[in-house]
Amino acid sequence: MATEIQEGAKLEQLSHENPDEIEVAAGRDREQLEGWIPELASDADVREALEKAFDYRGDITVTRKDGTQVQGYLFDRQSSTTLTDSFIRIMPSNAPGTKINVGYADVAALAFTGRDTAAGKTFEAWVKKYWAKKAAGEQNIQIEPEKLD
Amino acid sequence: MAVPISQAWTVATYVLKQKFMGKKKYPLVLMLEPLFRCNLACAGCGKIQYPAHILKAELSPEECFKAVDECGTPMVAIPGGEPLLHPQMPEIVAGLVARKKYVYMCTNALLLKEKLHLFKPSKYLSFSVHVDGQREHHDFSVCREGGYDIAMEGVRVAVEAGFRVTTNTTLFDGADPNSVRAHFDELMVAGVESMMVSPGYTYDKAPDQKHFLGRARSKKMFRAILSNRKSSWRFNASPMFMEFLMGKKDLTCTPWGMPTFSIFGWQKPCYLLQDGYADSFKALMETVEWQNYGTESGNPRCANCMVHSGYEASGVNYTFGSIKGLLQTAKAIFFSKYEDHGAMKILNEWKPAHHTPLVQIAAKAESDPQSAHNAAELQEVSGD
Repeated sequence: MATEIQEGAKLEQLSHENPDEIEVAAGRDREQLEGWIPELASDADVREALEKAFDYRGDITVTRKDGTQVQGYLFDRQSSTTLTDSFIRIMPSNAPGTKINVGYADVAALAFTGRDTAAGKTFEAWVKKYWAKKAAGEQNIQIEPEKLD
Repeated sequence: MAVPISQAWTVATYVLKQKFMGKKKYPLVLMLEPLFRCNLACAGCGKIQYPAHILKAELSPEECFKAVDECGTPMVAIPGGEPLLHPQMPEIVAGLVARKKYVYMCTNALLLKEKLHLFKPSKYLSFSVHVDGQREHHDFSVCREGGYDIAMEGVRVAVEAGFRVTTNTTLFDGADPNSVRAHFDELMVAGVESMMVSPGYTYDKAPDQKHFLGRARSKKMFRAILSNRKSSWRFNASPMFMEFLMGKKDLTCTPWGMPTFSIFGWQKPCYLLQDGYADSFKALMETVEWQNYGTESGNPRCANCMVHSGYEASGVNYTFGSIKGLLQTAKAIFFSKYEDHGAMKILNEWKPAHHTPLVQIAAKAESDPQSAHNAAELQEVSGD
């Protein structure tokens, strides 16, 4: 899911172009969410923040109202009419393969603590780097996937 | 035939059985993602952007088998991530073959040569090697110099060892249809069974957010590529889906046609969009509000999608939906080369996009003797 801000470019394009007449489709506007600690003053704030957390490709830290914390990747949310009936689903970073549910109503604080793994790797940056390395006579130029250990 | 007769028969009887049972929504191919980690970091891919602990996670063989049994499709594609990085992949594939599922393992083939001995040739197993075009285009697409040579070496070794080998080519803005046609020639010479081709999807998390093909350009490009077909080309795609890509047929999306199962569960709604997860296939089918997806829904995230995972099943459904569909498909298979002088004109006048250094690669390709030879051969074939 994505917010209207994130989908802004696509919505703008579709407001004046028929999908069947589009030559190059608009991509996604990126929001800088890494390090963000949203204010959760209202129910709407909680929903908005958790929707962004669901879209975020880094770990988040949730503090429950009882003071306990869960740190991990928020991979799903089931949003219902009330916060009591809604919950997020997290894969904790310290317990691989497990899935933890946290009710929206139990969330006291949220922080985007992990690095955004989708940020800062533009194609333009790769192209620029490629031609610089090529000019320097390098061979077998590539983007290496990040090391996992 | 682009696929073995036994496979075509299995798929046809499966689809007809669903129709006779009155099922309106049924899947065609299970997209089984046993892991997300990959040994490439492609510009157009939005699948691998996760924290390390997610990239390290993987499905067990038992979890894979449970998902396959739950879903019940005759075909299982194994994308990822790179499936050959999964240490139990041979066991997973053997289990699926034992279930008589037609398996397409979608691999970038960087490890294929090294791991091939872990698999047994079977009519149920095909390596679907991702090759995004001729050498320069592929290498740029996967952001790795030399990637094409390694992938094609993997193709050749697998073909020689008696495996079924197919290919999958994804195109973005900047692709050159002349080069794509020459690429098809190269793949056929390499001995691949058949080829799949699709426009890239606008992945929100992909590094490249500026080169997604819109529908108008997709249709123009695919009309240029797939018209005036060479008789040597074999495609692993529904003929009706390919007509859809060429702008010759309107199809609506079938978002449930290729459901995805991964470490998170059953992905809502489809392989391309992530709107959450269900814990069972049944829950997926029952809880997704399907009317909210597909171009016709007005959902901006579906606006430019013409990808096989949404429309291949639509093509198959069209074929088996009426006598007219069957006749059109038979005609497409046996009689149509899609001769089209307008398409030839598009091909001859196509100018690669000028907003990326890819144009330098294309310019280099045009002066390359092999490319010139291929272009001459294409003109000869088309009679243009």
